[in-house]
Amino acid sequence: MRFRTDENQTEKPYIDYSMIFVVLFLVCFGLIMVYSTSSYEASMSTLTDNDPAYYLKKQLFATVVGLVFMVIAAIIPYHFYERISFTSYLVSLVLIGLVMTPLGYSANGARRWLRIGISVQPAEIAKLTIILLSAGMICKLKENVNSWKGTGIAILPAAIAALMVWQITDNMSSAIIIGGISVMMIFIASKDYKRFIIMAVAVVAFAALMVFVIQKAAGSGKFGFRGARILAWLDPEAYASGKGFQTLQALYAIGSGGIFGKGLGQSIQKQGFLPEAQNDMIFSIICEELGLFGGICIILLFIILLWRMMIVANNAKDLYGAMLVVGVMSHIAIQVVLNIAVVTNTIPNTGISLPFISYGGSSVMFLLIEIGLVINVARSIKF
Amino acid sequence: MKNERRVRQARKIRVDSGLNKDMQAKLVILFILVLLAFAGLSVKLISITRDNGEQYKKQVLSQQKYNSVTLPYKRGDILDCKGNKLATSEKVYNMIVDAKVMLDKDESLEETMAALRDCFPSLDISSIRNHVTENPTSQYYIVAKRLTYDEISKFVEMDNDNETYPNIAGVWFEDEYKRIYPNNTLASDVLGFTVKGEGGQYGLEQYYNSVLEGTNGRDYGYLNEDETLERTTIPATDGYNIVTTIDANVQQIIEKYLYEFNENNKNAVRDGNGANNLGCIIMDVNSGEILGMASYPTFNLNDPRDTSRLIGMKECDLKGNIAYDATVLTEENIAEELADEELKNANLANLWKNFCISNTYEPGSTYKPFTVACGLESGKLTGEEYYTCNGSLPVANHNIKCHNYKKGGCGTLSVLGAVENSCNVSLMLMGRQIGASTFLEYQNKYNFGLKTNIDLYGESRTDTLVFTGDSMGETELATSTFGQGFNVTMIQMITGFCSLINGGYYYEPHMVSKITAADGSTVKTISPRVLKQTISAQTSNQIVEYCVGVVKEGTGKTARPAGYMIGGKTGTAETVPRDRTNYVLSFMGFAPADNPQIAIYVVVDRPNSWVQDNVGFATRLCRSILTEVLPYMNIYMTEELSEKEEQELAELNITVKRANVEEELTEEEATDSPDLDENGNVNAHGGDVTSSTQVTQEEMNSDDVETAPLTGTVLNMETGDAVKEETNEIPY
Repeated sequence: MRFRTDENQTEKPYIDYSMIFVVLFLVCFGLIMVYSTSSYEASMSTLTDNDPAYYLKKQLFATVVGLVFMVIAAIIPYHFYERISFTSYLVSLVLIGLVMTPLGYSANGARRWLRIGISVQPAEIAKLTIILLSAGMICKLKENVNSWKGTGIAILPAAIAALMVWQITDNMSSAIIIGGISVMMIFIASKDYKRFIIMAVAVVAFAALMVFVIQKAAGSGKFGFRGARILAWLDPEAYASGKGFQTLQALYAIGSGGIFGKGLGQSIQKQGFLPEAQNDMIFSIICEELGLFGGICIILLFIILLWRMMIVANNAKDLYGAMLVVGVMSHIAIQVVLNIAVVTNTIPNTGISLPFISYGGSSVMFLLIEIGLVINVARSIKF
Repeated sequence: MKNERRVRQARKIRVDSGLNKDMQAKLVILFILVLLAFAGLSVKLISITRDNGEQYKKQVLSQQKYNSVTLPYKRGDILDCKGNKLATSEKVYNMIVDAKVMLDKDESLEETMAALRDCFPSLDISSIRNHVTENPTSQYYIVAKRLTYDEISKFVEMDNDNETYPNIAGVWFEDEYKRIYPNNTLASDVLGFTVKGEGGQYGLEQYYNSVLEGTNGRDYGYLNEDETLERTTIPATDGYNIVTTIDANVQQIIEKYLYEFNENNKNAVRDGNGANNLGCIIMDVNSGEILGMASYPTFNLNDPRDTSRLIGMKECDLKGNIAYDATVLTEENIAEELADEELKNANLANLWKNFCISNTYEPGSTYKPFTVACGLESGKLTGEEYYTCNGSLPVANHNIKCHNYKKGGCGTLSVLGAVENSCNVSLMLMGRQIGASTFLEYQNKYNFGLKTNIDLYGESRTDTLVFTGDSMGETELATSTFGQGFNVTMIQMITGFCSLINGGYYYEPHMVSKITAADGSTVKTISPRVLKQTISAQTSNQIVEYCVGVVKEGTGKTARPAGYMIGGKTGTAETVPRDRTNYVLSFMGFAPADNPQIAIYVVVDRPNSWVQDNVGFATRLCRSILTEVLPYMNIYMTEELSEKEEQELAELNITVKRANVEEELTEEEATDSPDLDENGNVNAHGGDVTSSTQVTQEEMNSDDVETAPLTGTVLNMETGDAVKEETNEIPY
């Protein structure tokens, strides 16, 4: 009748305190930075009732809810998630579809949110369900994952979700993340290297080709706002008042911060020049206020977090647990790298938030649930 | 059973354990790849800071200054002497749409659009909607400019009512000031107007531009020593108000009759206005203050570029000159004639300029009092001379005719008679006695050839338009004595004339008496300034006497308003070319005759008539104006009213006002008055005269007694019929 295994009964569960500390630190730091970056604009706008803590309050609420869900997610035995993974995946697809109905609403010119009691971004849910489903599929496919066919099957759910996120919510960056998570999980699970190198080269070559084509067609406006973003990426100064504005202002913020920054709360750029600094561009304000030192410290914290996750994954007692952790790790790694790459104009501007730090209730809530999964897997590590 | 299977399943999974060695290696490789990415990004971060740090730091600071808001100042008002607003600035509102805010909530767009449609029926709602949907991130789009408070108040109320209209968002109003001229055309030439960004144009607006202008305030951010941003507001300083000497009622009366003159005479013999130009100035004789100054055609100060105001005017060329045979602008031809933008501007400029100070012309016989005063003051004339006019006088190689040439001349005239009859021959003979150098000396004393320095923009220079010792020969002197051959401006004439009749004091003419701050405190008071004495008080009295004679017995009879005696001089000046068809008619006078308080100068420039040389055009216009202005200024009537005159005053709703003493004596006077009229000494009341002007009146009365022999009735009787038409025959 006992569900738990003998080992768990006799040994204390392993708790990865260093990882939990890093997460809590990042979340708290995120709240401080959200307040720092948003208070000026919030106090100037009637939309936020001139309340400087408007964004902080909303973020704090989402964080507290997220922490509760994180604990719950850490306690429920994780194989439960394997059983509900397909259902939850279908639910997340339905939610993406619901954005098209009157339940959906738009902000900042894009229709990406659902208002069901609270407002959520279905793309954030999809990232979580893809991790749950892909981990299970990889476990079932076992050796088959090494074949092209197996890889295709493993990648299919992510491909469907990514396509829907891209086409329905017009959110290419989330689509890339969803696809990326799935590909990285399959990469870890399979023995093969060649296939992934080919895929990587193909992606890079395609991207380079697109950039080349768009650059040739500059001025025709044929490639819409994404084309314009790529042109602005190549030469932000030439598009200083248009698509390059945000990027350029972010670079100004980073550059003007110097080594130790202007001091917490002392950013100039957040005062109207970098609009919605609390969102995707928050890292540039961190660099402006805390300098290169602060920015690199944040990068180091993410490295520590990912390293702890790698340890957990490598020591997970079963493949499903390990793959869950690999999924979460991939998610965070992709988002952090892409976010900082956007802020530093290493890649074209696309809306990717900085995990745990950027303003965004759905994002922080589902990330904390994912952390709960990692804690969950870590708890069952056997020494 | 079920549980057992689950346990077995769990064991099975546990058995195949976690990641195998390959997978672990791959995970490490993935981690290293991520590390490399981070390392690359860190290098990028460092290079941004190192390579562009200083540049970006400056960039960030330089961006700050754009983040400042200008707070507009209020341009000062222009008030008349009674405090009526002639020009004022009103706060108006520019409607700004913030698309970003409007689109933030789904309901906002529709609700705001509905409210806008409701409150601003004239707005193009669909174009606003298009802008908002096409530029969802734009935050500053000017939808409508210069709305009044009344226009926006309904919307502002709806916007503030968060219960009924919770979703109105993204529309706000920016302050601005708009120059308003409450009376539209009143005193248009005097006031001038404003052009956004260029300040005042013409008239007082331009002359006093720096006084009327204030300083914009600024709401701006700056960096303190810690390089943190602080905001400061410097409030705007409003411009000063100017209080003019203009009396809006006097101005209105003048303009009413100029307009009426034009209505009665336009299109009479040719298309176009009743005269090329009409001008009238009323001035305080004893201070140089302008009470009213107007010309026709006028324009709407609130819409100065309205070309329909040009209709009826003669078209000028690009330099503003009007050719002798210039096209008259009509409703039909104006669009075609002024298709050229530059030409249109030149014609508008011609409309905007102030005839009274900017146009120069030959004054004609209104100059005669100046000649006579020059002769008397210099001692070259005694006033006892008699002249004989046979109709013409040979001067150098010319035979210069008098206006009575066809009737065989004016006969023998005293100095008074010469002025009363406006006899050119007598004046030319006086000119011979005076001599060119004395004539020019006095012309200069009277300020001809010099600017009067009136405080208005656009006064013409006339230094090259008068004769000098070198250019004045016998002929020039002869014609100059009756005001032909040299050019003057209206303001020069009336200012000089005031000095002839006020005891010789030449006051600087001025329009502004006081400058006040926005809070009402006085910044500066501008008092009357005597610049010089042109003639003695005695000579001045003599001239007054002569001018009264002109109205009583001479050419100016038709200028006398009901109930008053005035003095003055008529003028009929032939214009170039001398083809005896085009004339400038004028009347320059003062009132009341016994105690000059105001001077008036009316000029009718080339009336629209077959026969232009009829000075009645000017005298009748002057009479109409004075009939209303004198009672308005509370100047007591002294003359008996005929039945016709009483009826005329009743029609104008003017109550007859007389000094208290006179009212008491009405019955006694009733029998005396005919004697008074016959004597010609209207004001011979001796010590009976009261009122505030007692002292001067007494002086005048005593002068009247002294000069009585000069105004001999015998001579006046000889010239019996007042000459209504005079012609100056010019030999070239």
